[in-house]
Amino acid sequence: MDPSLYLDKDTFVHRLDPRTKMFLLLGMFALPFVFLNPLYVLAVLALVLFFGYLAQCLANLRRIWFILFMIILVTPTLWAIVGSGRTPLFLFVEREALLYGFTAAQRIVITVIAGMIFLSTTRNEEVAIGLVRLGIPYRFAFAVSTALRLVPTIVATGLTIGQAQRSRGLDLDSGNIISRIRKHLPLLVPVFVTTVRSTNVFSMALESKGFGAGSGRTFYLHVAMGRRDVLVLAIFVLLLAGCIALRVAGYGGLEGFTR
Amino acid sequence: MEPEVRIEGLTYRYRGQQKPALKGVDLEVAEGEFVVIMGPSGAGKSTLCVSLNGLIPNFFRGKMEGEVRVGGRSTREGKVGEFAQEVGLVFQDFEAQLFSTNVALEVAFGPENFKVERGEMIERVEKMLGQVHLEGFEKRTPATLSGGQKQRLAIASVLAIEPRILCLDEPTTDLDPVGKLGIFKIAEDLKDRDDVTLIVVEHETEETLDADRIIVLRDGEIVADRPAREVLRDVELLQQSSVMPLQVTRFFHEMGLWQGQLPLTPQEGAAEFRRRGWRVNQGRHGRLVGADAKREEGYGEPVIEVEGLTHRYPNGVVALEGVDLTVRKGEFLAVLGQNGSGKTTLVKHFNGLLKPTEGTVRVGEGETREQGLRQLGQSVGYVFQNPDHQIFADTVADEVAFGPKIRGMEEGDIKERVEEALAAVGLEGRGEEDPFGLTKGERQRVAVASVLSVRPEVLILDEPTTGLDYAEQRSMMDLVKGLNEAGSTIIVVTHTMWVVAEYAHRAAVVREGKVSLQGTVREVFAEEVELHDAALRAPHIVSMGNELGYPVLSVEEMLEVTEEKA
Amino acid sequence: MKEIFTMWRHTQLVVLVALSAAIYAAVLIPFKGFPIVPGYIELRPANAFPIVFGLLFGPAGAWGSAIGNTIGDFVGGTLTLGSVGGFVGNFFLALLPYKMWSVFLRRDENMETNVDSSKKFGVYILVTILASTVCAVIIAWWVDLLGLFPFRLFFALVFFNNVIMAGVLGPILLLALYPRVKRWGLLWTEIIEPEEVSSSRLQRTGAILVWVGAIGSVVFGLIIGSFQQALGGVGIALGLVPFLVLILVGAFMLGGREQVEAAREQIEGETAEA
Repeated sequence: MDPSLYLDKDTFVHRLDPRTKMFLLLGMFALPFVFLNPLYVLAVLALVLFFGYLAQCLANLRRIWFILFMIILVTPTLWAIVGSGRTPLFLFVEREALLYGFTAAQRIVITVIAGMIFLSTTRNEEVAIGLVRLGIPYRFAFAVSTALRLVPTIVATGLTIGQAQRSRGLDLDSGNIISRIRKHLPLLVPVFVTTVRSTNVFSMALESKGFGAGSGRTFYLHVAMGRRDVLVLAIFVLLLAGCIALRVAGYGGLEGFTR
Repeated sequence: MEPEVRIEGLTYRYRGQQKPALKGVDLEVAEGEFVVIMGPSGAGKSTLCVSLNGLIPNFFRGKMEGEVRVGGRSTREGKVGEFAQEVGLVFQDFEAQLFSTNVALEVAFGPENFKVERGEMIERVEKMLGQVHLEGFEKRTPATLSGGQKQRLAIASVLAIEPRILCLDEPTTDLDPVGKLGIFKIAEDLKDRDDVTLIVVEHETEETLDADRIIVLRDGEIVADRPAREVLRDVELLQQSSVMPLQVTRFFHEMGLWQGQLPLTPQEGAAEFRRRGWRVNQGRHGRLVGADAKREEGYGEPVIEVEGLTHRYPNGVVALEGVDLTVRKGEFLAVLGQNGSGKTTLVKHFNGLLKPTEGTVRVGEGETREQGLRQLGQSVGYVFQNPDHQIFADTVADEVAFGPKIRGMEEGDIKERVEEALAAVGLEGRGEEDPFGLTKGERQRVAVASVLSVRPEVLILDEPTTGLDYAEQRSMMDLVKGLNEAGSTIIVVTHTMWVVAEYAHRAAVVREGKVSLQGTVREVFAEEVELHDAALRAPHIVSMGNELGYPVLSVEEMLEVTEEKA
Repeated sequence: MKEIFTMWRHTQLVVLVALSAAIYAAVLIPFKGFPIVPGYIELRPANAFPIVFGLLFGPAGAWGSAIGNTIGDFVGGTLTLGSVGGFVGNFFLALLPYKMWSVFLRRDENMETNVDSSKKFGVYILVTILASTVCAVIIAWWVDLLGLFPFRLFFALVFFNNVIMAGVLGPILLLALYPRVKRWGLLWTEIIEPEEVSSSRLQRTGAILVWVGAIGSVVFGLIIGSFQQALGGVGIALGLVPFLVLILVGAFMLGGREQVEAAREQIEGETAEA
């Protein structure tokens, strides 16, 4: 099983420069916050889903559907209780609070899907190069992309360790909260030890291949902003500006809602 | 002409250690040579490797005396990164060396660090992948490669920097036979190049035949530095250095031949045998076969019965198909096969880690489907390949006590079992030590002890000899044999063939999800063609015996049945 | 704060950033632990790690925890803009323990971060509470500012999660891991040079500022906040800013150099003996 999210396909989204995708991702964090009205935010959600369709990565949604489902269920409930509005619906729940809850839920879902699209279409090395080209020092970018690369390996090790310990009789599901927490020790310690132990070999291997030999480096991967990138970014900026304009003009708000 | 590598009086002590790892080592390696370094665990072989590219003294914090010159330059001057262009170092642990998302990027990493221009990098990547027989693998993810392929990838990633010296530290230790062959092929190709100096640390004597020189290291000192074939014929030296001598060579040595005459391969051995007019005494050989049969009758009730076992993974891959197998009480079974054949999948059904998709697996009273992991763990103990995947306690005793404790036994009982288990693995009195302060072989024993403390009937060991030197391997297998003689049923999953030949009673060969061969070890090892199809090779002495028409399993057996001409 | 930049010169520390990030993320995902409300309220054993990483790996642990939390959010599907708060919050969660360690333990005592004495255990608990508070304040403030969640709720969530996990699992993990990490030469105090770490001249003042900032934010956020409902969420967000500034300034004044010097002395002592 390969727990990484990256899907090696050749779509229009894959071919975008990683910096473009990073900007889009940040943009997707901003866009849903422009509107308060859940219907408007729904339009943004549809846009994101469309983008995911273009990137052929909606299949990855399968892996996080449970989380998404719970978010959609719980967030509105939470805000319905905590928030207050003008029009009472039933008990202490007001209409505006419930609507806001749907907005908040969608905002979260949008950012989750955007993040997933990003990870599905961008290699770790592209993330590293993108960061470097944005001015972040190479070593930091290397640490980030290596961490991304190592997560599936460690998860696999964790599962093997889980099997080994369960074979010895470890049972994680019984006992009270405190004892269950402590039972995680036979899992956490070997995971930690096996991984950290490889630090020295890893560092030696890096230095043996010239890491840190001098400053500056060349890159095998070719990243450059092309016309496509500029176009996509321009469209997005226009979209964002348009939405802000709409909001300022009075659309997409939620009257009577307070927190 | 200045040798590529010149080491003078190298003594090195790691920080926090009492004894130096290397003592007064003098060594010269000329350009284009192929040198092999051998010796027991802890001899200093890896230390020698890392002193070649400057990791010693620049990365480790210890005390160094003497000098190491590579291409004329001393390793004390300059950073590790600079020496990387002269010396390429490949470590034993290939997993810890690979970190890129695809093969091409992994190979390009080195050149990137040295600011090689992009066009040339692309060429080099292609060339290096060809050199290690991974052509066309550019876009593959390293995680999907087999162990052998990963190690070859590590070699390619180092070769891409185009160093003049390549040093491989135990490159084949964790690989299956197919993986090992792949590495040896690369070494062969490289050795023919005059511009590459090859230094390899290796345990597998069978593959060092092509080296120019063999250097034997023991306790940090060089005890021999001679042409390869000479060292390989010095059986006593090898045995004293915890290196397994070639079986055919050892046989003829024990028969009294003078060192210079000793054959090295099964073919040479069989020819020499015939040339001297020796014969195999049929009576004595018959007795060996008879002893096998008698042992078969002595087994008890079946403890594990597998019928029509098929296992399909959730992603649709069929790992096992229609497997039938019976294991009886008191048996010592070896499950053989290359990585990916399904041997580990099969064995994981015996303690309940996996349940059959079709067919049945019965352990003890009932089917595994109806018993939980904890219940099965009581009768079937499973020792995983890597002891570090299990060890988490602060002391050896706590680690061994884990199983009984989890099952809620009494304090007194626990203590008793811990002592019993530690004694069984030869670690009595070491209960208070930190498991991570022990050697790998000792940690492996701790893992075995921690499974033994539950007193299971059946013991499954997954690759118990990987990463151990010859003496340690013998020690471990003798321990397992002792347990078997005391009544435990043993199942070993391995691809170390001499271990199977000398210790196991029965063998099952797994190939592509099916058991292609089953029977006593003698019967199975006589089928060399089938073994070859399953990507396995019989040990040399077994091959020689087969060639002569009389299957034997060890040098001792061969000695027993041989008659010199009257 | 010098060391959070100078550490990047050392390959081993760079690798430790990657590894601690990866371990944190990897343990956050499958060991989702005990979901009470999945996606929101979970008890995650992994929450013990940042404090442990900070005490073992210093600045590498801080960067690693921050990056690891973000990756965990990405891959686990709980990514929101609030993850920015998670980044900064986890950074401080790992940073403060090792920085504050030298405030409580003097040079002449054993300064090692293995909690093997009752005094050290006491310091550990104190430091854990402080770090958990600051982390919770940062995250809850950010999330409240964005209008995703009320401060009170999120603060309690993050605070108790961190404190419980770090309190229950942390000491045992440290006791098990410290000797091994030390044996492998991977303690941050043994890799980095003393000059590369902030000096401890102003650490007393810094510590006081951080405590005041932390306690102040909690008092303001929880108690006064509930009465300020009429002003809407923005009131809390703005009101907490001065306390956050105090925390930040105080953190900059903290040191850490002494621990590295103490470790150096120990190494020299060993090499000399032999």
